[in-house]
Amino acid sequence: MSDSKTPSKKVIPIAVSSEPIELPPGADAEMVSLYQAHKKIYPRSVTGLFSRWRWILVFVTQIFFYGLPWLEWGQRQAVLFDLGARRFYIFGLVLYPQDFIYLTGILVISAYALFLFTAVAGRLWCGYACPQTVYTEIFLWLEKLAEGDRSMRIRRDAAPWTIEKFARKAAKQFMWITLALWTGFTFVGYFTPIHLLATEFITWDLGSWEIFWTFFYAFATWGNAGFMREQVCKYMCPYARFQSAMFDKDTLIVTYDTERGEPRGARSKKADLSILNLGACVDCSLCIQVCPTGIDIRNGLQYECIGCGACADVCDTVMDKLGYARGLVKYTTEHALEQKWNSAQTLRHVLRPRVLVYTTILVAVVAAMAISLALRIPFKVDVVRDRGSLARIAEGGKIENVFRIQVMNATEATQHFHISVQGLPELKVASETDVVIESTQSRWVAVNLQLPYDGAPAGSHTIHFKIDAPDIGKSVTEKAVFIVPR
Amino acid sequence: MKQKIMWIVWPSFLMAGVLELLVFALVDPQDMHWFGHAFEASRQAVYTLGFFVFWFLIALASAMTLFLSLPANEVNRSPL
Repeated sequence: MSDSKTPSKKVIPIAVSSEPIELPPGADAEMVSLYQAHKKIYPRSVTGLFSRWRWILVFVTQIFFYGLPWLEWGQRQAVLFDLGARRFYIFGLVLYPQDFIYLTGILVISAYALFLFTAVAGRLWCGYACPQTVYTEIFLWLEKLAEGDRSMRIRRDAAPWTIEKFARKAAKQFMWITLALWTGFTFVGYFTPIHLLATEFITWDLGSWEIFWTFFYAFATWGNAGFMREQVCKYMCPYARFQSAMFDKDTLIVTYDTERGEPRGARSKKADLSILNLGACVDCSLCIQVCPTGIDIRNGLQYECIGCGACADVCDTVMDKLGYARGLVKYTTEHALEQKWNSAQTLRHVLRPRVLVYTTILVAVVAAMAISLALRIPFKVDVVRDRGSLARIAEGGKIENVFRIQVMNATEATQHFHISVQGLPELKVASETDVVIESTQSRWVAVNLQLPYDGAPAGSHTIHFKIDAPDIGKSVTEKAVFIVPR
Repeated sequence: MKQKIMWIVWPSFLMAGVLELLVFALVDPQDMHWFGHAFEASRQAVYTLGFFVFWFLIALASAMTLFLSLPANEVNRSPL
């Protein structure tokens, strides 16, 4: 290993001792955490293009969330996940647990939509539509109503308790808790008919599980939007950690134009930049103050950045005041910044292989799901052989096999079903062949099949049950086995 | 310590949700036998309790992962 020409590496023996470490006198023997203590972030409120869009999205998503359970469809709630009855109602559709594939489809679509949005424009989901962002935005607004903006909140939190401080904090908590409870109530309203729930609530006659989940969801909302806030994004969200895998140099992200901004520094409004040797950044630190995750966008892209654009909004207002061009912090791509593209050129680079692949898969899955839903037969059949006997001799010396057939009517009308059997020439259904099943109900029907004594050789024979629903003009065929004993 | 609790509780919460969805999409609690008897509780009760049992067990797995991933010197020096 040793080479005379290169200086040999010295081996310094380091012994790891299991003995307790002798502390120097006066030292604190307590464990010192190497983690940075969490500092509370006081985001400053901001107005501008991105902030306006965020509020539009807050309204759209919340009108949807709070409003949807109240929407009626015929005689029932339009969207209801009736876990108790194991039926999901989504407008005209009634889904059974057997329709699990559609849930999988929705998850796949959501995942690919997320991939696509991320590849095109970064963390759109995080900045505008994620419930964490949306509720934090609403809670921050309520906080501002009660306690004022950033500087007032910082000052008041540092000051000793007074009646006014207490009153303001109490008012904030009252608004937060009310909103959280309403959110929890709405959440439960997706699983229990919400009109019923409202009546039960007014008469204070709620079921114990309904109370539990209302409070559980309300508590989670209150904790996440009131206290955890950006920590959820920074420490708890898996998406925040892997979203960069979907980024490339043509992804639109919130970016600071370093070349234009640096060297940063304060200056008077009338100062001549060419003499001062300063960039456009006045180092006012407003971009840090408005950031909901408390980062400095000027340090480049960081995983903490949720792409909300608050820094871009506030920087534009500063640039306007100074009479500089907007867009020192802006939504752009790495390539565009490097090569000084205008926005049309930037947008032209959106269509790239990655985006096309995501789009193709997304369109394919959506199409497959739509077709499958359109062709879905709205009733289901399960055939089970009766466990009691394989085969028996019925009157007249006929061979009889007994089956149990479950027919599930997934429509919201009473349906007539006709059961017939095929596969052996003289095989007949000896029990009732016509079944009436109420809307969204299912029934087990005992079906006796009979075959004349010499109808088929001994052994098992594949047969097919055919269940017709003449009212909707559809039919289902199910395979089964008919056994002829020796 | 706070962070460690979160590393245990949060991922297990997410996965408990997934497991809840999978298990109860396939299994109807009312068709189940518990120690040979039909279970008296409502479906909602089984769903709710099931969720917390899943959460607890997955949290145990997370906690064990965290515990076993401690380097030797940390195990020698301190319990947590």
